[in-house]
This record gives sequence, structure tokens and C-alpha cells, in this order.
Amino acid sequence: MEPRWAESGRDGPGDDGQWGHQPPSSLFLQLPSNATLRFRGPVAKAWGAALDQEEPPGFPPDQDGGEAREQESVPLKQLPLCMVEKRRLRLQEQQAAKKWSHWERWRVEMRHLREQVGGALLYAQVWRDSLHRIEGHFGTGIQSYFNFLRFLVVLNLGGALLMVGFVVAPNAAFEALQLNQTQRLENSMVNSSCLEYDPSKRGLVSYFTYLMDLLSGTGFMELTYLFYGYYQNSAVDFVGFSYNIPLAYLLSTLAFFSVCLFWIVRRAVHLLKRSLVSENGALNTYSNKVFAGWDFCLTPGTMVHLKHNSLRYELRMDLEEQSLRWRMAQRSPSQRAALYVLRGVLNLLVVVLLGAAFYCIYLATKYAQQSQDSDQGQQGVFVRLLVAYLPSIVITVANQLVPLAFGFIVRLERYPLSLEIKLTLFRSVFLRLSSLLVLLFSLWIQITCHGDPDASSCQICRYNHQQHPCWETSVGQEMYKLLIFDLVVVLVVMLLVEFPRKLLVTHGPAIMGRLWGQQEFLVPPNVLDLVYGQTVCWVGAAFSPLLPLLNTFKYILIFYLKKLTLFSNCRPADRTFRASSSNFFFLLVLLLGLAIAWVPLLYSVFALQPSQACGPFRGEPTMWSTLLAAIDALPRVAREFLQFVGSLAFAVPLFLLLCILMFYLMVLANSYSRLVKELKGQLQLEGRDKVFLVTQITELS
Amino acid sequence: QQNKEDFFLLVCRLHGRYHEMAPNIVPMDYTKDPDVKLPIQLIINMPELKENPFKERIVEAFSEDGEGNLSFNDFVDMFSVLSEMAPRELKAIYAFKIYDFNTDNFICKSDLEKTLNKLTREELTAEEITLVCEKVIEEADMDGDGKLAFADFENMISKIHLR
Repeated sequence: MEPRWAESGRDGPGDDGQWGHQPPSSLFLQLPSNATLRFRGPVAKAWGAALDQEEPPGFPPDQDGGEAREQESVPLKQLPLCMVEKRRLRLQEQQAAKKWSHWERWRVEMRHLREQVGGALLYAQVWRDSLHRIEGHFGTGIQSYFNFLRFLVVLNLGGALLMVGFVVAPNAAFEALQLNQTQRLENSMVNSSCLEYDPSKRGLVSYFTYLMDLLSGTGFMELTYLFYGYYQNSAVDFVGFSYNIPLAYLLSTLAFFSVCLFWIVRRAVHLLKRSLVSENGALNTYSNKVFAGWDFCLTPGTMVHLKHNSLRYELRMDLEEQSLRWRMAQRSPSQRAALYVLRGVLNLLVVVLLGAAFYCIYLATKYAQQSQDSDQGQQGVFVRLLVAYLPSIVITVANQLVPLAFGFIVRLERYPLSLEIKLTLFRSVFLRLSSLLVLLFSLWIQITCHGDPDASSCQICRYNHQQHPCWETSVGQEMYKLLIFDLVVVLVVMLLVEFPRKLLVTHGPAIMGRLWGQQEFLVPPNVLDLVYGQTVCWVGAAFSPLLPLLNTFKYILIFYLKKLTLFSNCRPADRTFRASSSNFFFLLVLLLGLAIAWVPLLYSVFALQPSQACGPFRGEPTMWSTLLAAIDALPRVAREFLQFVGSLAFAVPLFLLLCILMFYLMVLANSYSRLVKELKGQLQLEGRDKVFLVTQITELS
Repeated sequence: QQNKEDFFLLVCRLHGRYHEMAPNIVPMDYTKDPDVKLPIQLIINMPELKENPFKERIVEAFSEDGEGNLSFNDFVDMFSVLSEMAPRELKAIYAFKIYDFNTDNFICKSDLEKTLNKLTREELTAEEITLVCEKVIEEADMDGDGKLAFADFENMISKIHLR
């Protein structure tokens, strides 16, 4: 019985194409380019039966021992043959294997090993079952958020191990073993008023003060391993080498940032490799939806029905956008001018909103810092807590309200929908990361007296020693407060907004369900929250070595909380969030956060005077000078090499070389895309040639 | 050795599923080469395939006779290709066969229309369907014959970022 696909003349209706005469498809079937599609013979042996050595019909011919060796370069798993054929091939392979050399056998074994390791790694990923369940119920769009969260947990854990292993653990070990720590620098040359630093409370303290200290990192929490101020500028001498604590602190912080950068870039490149192959990504939207739109991982239930609806909705939206673009192109010049003026005004409004938000943050920080060292114990605990958390509160409120305004404004600007989404996202990212920078900037203003070393309070110690005797710990405390507040906000929003909303919608009057609807899990704002939290951790890591560890626990907690709220309160989004391109976008925003976090780190290391009353760098002119001193102690060759690497004579030619390389790569990419266009045209020509030739053959025969 | 044991357990589990769909027909003992095929109606009622809009096409693509009657070999084949460990190129080959409704080794406009109808449960208007099909062919057809050969399909799939 001939399979259906081998019968000729089975083209669909109306497919005559441009040639008038219909070429029989049987000839097309025999072309080499269609070879992979023909494979199933009409007869298959059942499982467990003795293998027949005859070749079943329909199998591609000329498969002898010589070909079998070529086959093994393609693993058996990848061949589109039925089971019987694969078993036959494997038997052939095993028989041929006896004649192989050592090298071939070793190569095959390596390949098997790699496949096994790959398979094992796939199973060993943490939270794999949870992610599968989320994917089954809500689709890959929402799963990408949890994937990103899992990556952040692993990243933070790695960083925490680094910091704890090189800074916290050795210090704890030295103290526990009561090893002799030699002070590295004499502080006698320094003005004694700079050395006044005593964060521990005097006299009777109320119980609530302990709670307040726990939540804001002051008081009993300040002189602990958590903050910079606890560590000492000393070295511990062992037999043969000496463990230099400030050097360890500096190097492990720099290593933490570099490891994060390397890890994120590697992951981004891995994700980018697949998407960079296409040149016209925007033109693939329809094929994407038709062929890859259905989420085959969805388990049965209401989600399937919703998926059908969302696909229909998306296709309709795309068609509408198409007609909108066509209408926009038809606009008259006067209408266009009016639209541009409107857009200019709205952009100005956006800038004004951002400026207002930043100014509020600056005021809040200034007020909080000033009132913190004025009266300490005369206000109520709750008021003091509120004042201490004022910057965090203002930042969070701004981050929630201003994007709502952005969403409203962008609808007035009448861009196409895809551009609307991107623009809102871009503005929100800018807002969140800049608000952090504004907070740091306002702290900097207080610490360095507006950058003026001759101002009255900064004259003696080159930083404001009255307000901030240990300024690194102050910065660390602000970041610690931001971290805690972020977690508190997630909890509060979940308990006070999402659960009640679910209860109201399901059990309340029907009109609530129609007006408000069930909560939708929106991926972009949640991801921006994560990126913001991670940036806070990075900025604070230099001043608080335990912060990455705390961040790991926080993200683990957030994973379970978000999973709980997803399954209890949310429904899937109407418009599906395309997971793949957005995975890369998340990593890009994360890299932006890392870039922003590098700025305060580098500035503190190179330009600011470390506190003289506390910390592992007390008495040094800058943090970087520790490293310079350590380099000076190296043997001559290494020292001269490192000094050369750090000098301008090396940096400038390197920079020029990198510029030339970048320019060359851009030109190369340009020429490749032109080549691809030419090849596409050629391919069309070849296709027409092929059809013409086949038609001629059938006419002649 | 561990690999072989896991593999054996997997095959036993699959055989269990195959058997429970029609316990009267499927024997537990396969060493005597039984020629047993389950009809398509039983297989598309499996919970894994039930909600899949392309369930009939999937089963037909893996059957020997093209009608959807699967022997145990074909059953194992189907699940091995559908699993997440199967390589992308293999999945592309079978995806092409699945979307090719009239099995002429081309995805023509009528195939696309049937695909769309299955995806959206026939709730798009005829005009919308025609528009979308034209757009898809415009995006993916490389050799200009108005329908998608396997090379066109594979090229387009490789550009689509799955996951």
C-alpha cells in the first residue's frame, strides 16, 4: 500500500502558481532537498522481534558500511527515521566499531559523555518542577520572569560565596582563633576629631529601639560583620604569607563585580546567538504567531481556551496595527506637524515629571539624614522609623505612580502599539535606575559638602565627619533599608491588594468582576522590580559585604511569594509576552543596572577619602592606595609589568586598537547583510530554474 | 549501564500507557512480534494530546499508513520526538509534516488556512485569514513559488526564537 504522500498530483486547490502547467509532485519528492521528508517504510517490525537484516522499501538507498560511518557523525537521535531503522543503523555501527581506531572510539565516547552530562544537567536545575507547572498553566511568557528570578538567585549566591569566603569568614576565623592582628598604619598624624566614632547607645534604651536598629541597620547592628565599619586595617601574619584584610576586601569586591559582569554577558550572548541570525526581526511577526504561537506546553483546562482567545486577539491587533500604519502614512502634512508638536509637548511633560520625582527624592534624603542626627530619642518610635525610611518610601511611591502617568501620556502620543510598549518600558527603566542615582547623589552632597573640600564641616577630615563619622556605613545602611523595604512592599501589596481583589472579584457583586477583573500578572513591571533590587544590592555590596547573601534570601522568598500569588490570584495576560526576545531585554536592563552600580564603586575607590574612624581603609588616602602599596611589595618584574599595564602608554594604544577592531567588525557585519540579500535573490532565481527544469523534464518524457 | 536501565524503565512506562488505552488489543508480551495498531480515535483522547489543536495531524505524521493508526514503535517514536530532549532540527522536520495538511511536501495557502482555523477555533473572519496567510507566505517564501518548501520553513523556524 503506497503511503498517501507518495501519490502524485496532490497539490492543494488553486496552487497553479505562475507556470500554468502543473508539475507532478512525484518528481519533486525525489529531489535531494526533500530527502529528509521521506522516511517511513510501509512495514515496521514490532518491538522486541528479531531484527530482520533486509532493507525495508522506502529507506533511502546506498546505505552501506561506508555511509554508516558518515551517519555516526550525525547522532542517531537526530535522524528522522522510524525505530526499526535506527536499531538497524545502531547494529551496523556497533559492527563497524570493531574496526575503528582508538581515535574514533574515543571521539564517539566523548560525544556520548557530553550528551549524558547535558541530560543530567537539565534535570539538576533547581526549581525545575515549579517552572514546568508555571509554564503549563500560564505559558512561557510568565515562566521567563521566574527563570530570570532563578538566574538572579544563583548569581547572588555565587557573589555571596565570594564575599563571605574572602572577607567575612577569614575575619570571623581570625577573631575566633584570636590571632594576632598587626595594625598596618599609624593613626597618630591624624586630627583626633576625625577618629570619634561610637555608634553604640548609652544608658537605658527601650525595647523598640532594638527593633528600629534591626530595621535600619543602626545601633547594635552597625558594628557587626554586616557593615564596612567593623573591619580593621590590619594584616594577619601566617607562616610564609600575610593575609592583608583591606586588600582582600578591595579585591573581592572588584572580583564580585567582574564575575557578575562576565556571567551576565555570557548568558546574554548565549541568548542572543539564536536571535542575531535573522536580520529583519520585525518582519517575522506573522510567521512567528502562526507557527510558534501555540504553546504546546499548556495542560488542559481553562488556560487552553484563554490561549485560543489570546492568539486571536494578537492576530487581530497586528492586523489593526497594519491598517493604522497605512492610515498614518496617508496623513496630510498639517496633521503631521500638529502630531509632532503634541508629541514634543508630551515629552516635555515627561521630563518635568521625572524632574519633580527626582527633586522629591533629594528633599526626602536630605531631611532624613538631617533629622537622624538631630534629636535621637525624643520622638516616637514609629515616627523615627518613618523618617529613617523616608527616601525608600518616596522612591517606591514615585516608581509606582509615575509609570501610570507614562502609560496615560503614551496613549495620547498615538504611536503604533509595539512602539508604545517599548517606550513606556524604556521610560520606566530610566525612572527606576535614575532614582537610585539621585539618592546616591544626595548622599554624596552631604558627605562631601557639595564636593567642596574647603567648606566648614569638611575642612578637617575632607568629609563631613560630624554628620557621617563613618560614611561608608551610612551608604551601606541606606542600601540595606532599601532592600528591606522592597521586600516589605512585596508582602504588603500581596496581602492588602491582591488577595482582597481576588476575594472581591470572585465572591463580591458581579459588577466588580466586570469593572475591575482579576489580577493580571504583568511581566515587565515585575522584572523591573527585580532589576532595581539587584542594582541596590550591587551598589551596597562594596559597603556591606553580607548584602549579597541577604539578597539571595530575599529573592528566594520573593520566588515563593510570587508563585503563591500567581496561582491564587492571577489570570494569564491577554496579550502574550514574547519570552525569547524579552529574555535578552531583561539581561540588557540588568547590565544597565550593573553599569550604573559600577559608577559609585569606582568613584569611592578612586576619589573619595575613606573614613578615618572605621573600616579596613582607615588612614589610607584612598582605597586604591592599598593595592598600589601591595604592588610595590611585589618582586621587580611583576611590579614593573603591572605598572606598565596601568600607565597611559599601554591604555591609549589599547583603546585605539579596540576602536579599530570595533570598526572592522561593523564593516564586516554590514557586508554580510548585503551578501545575505544577494543570496536571497539568487535563491529565488534558483527556485524558478528548478520548477522550469522539472516542467521541461515532464513535458519531454 | 545506568543509561540502559533508565531507558528500559522509560520504555516500560510507555508500554504501560499504550496498553491501558486498549487492554483488550495490546498484548503485554511483545516478543512474538504482534501486529497491533491502535486507531487514531484512542490516541487523540490521551490527556497529553487532548487539548492540542493539531492532535490529528501529529498522530497522522507518525503513523506508517498516514491514517493515524500507531503501532507501539510509532508510539515510542512520537513521544521521543515530542520530548524536550529531541534536537531542534528533528522537531522542525516533523513540524513541517504536521502543518502540511494535504501531504504534498509543501505548505501551501490552503494548509495555512487550515492551520489558522485550528489555532483560533475558526473565529477569525475569512478576510482576516486570507490577510494573515498572505503575510506568512510573504515573510517566509524564499524561492518565490507561492508556497513553503521545507527549506523555507526550516529557515524561518531557525529565525524564530523559541523560548
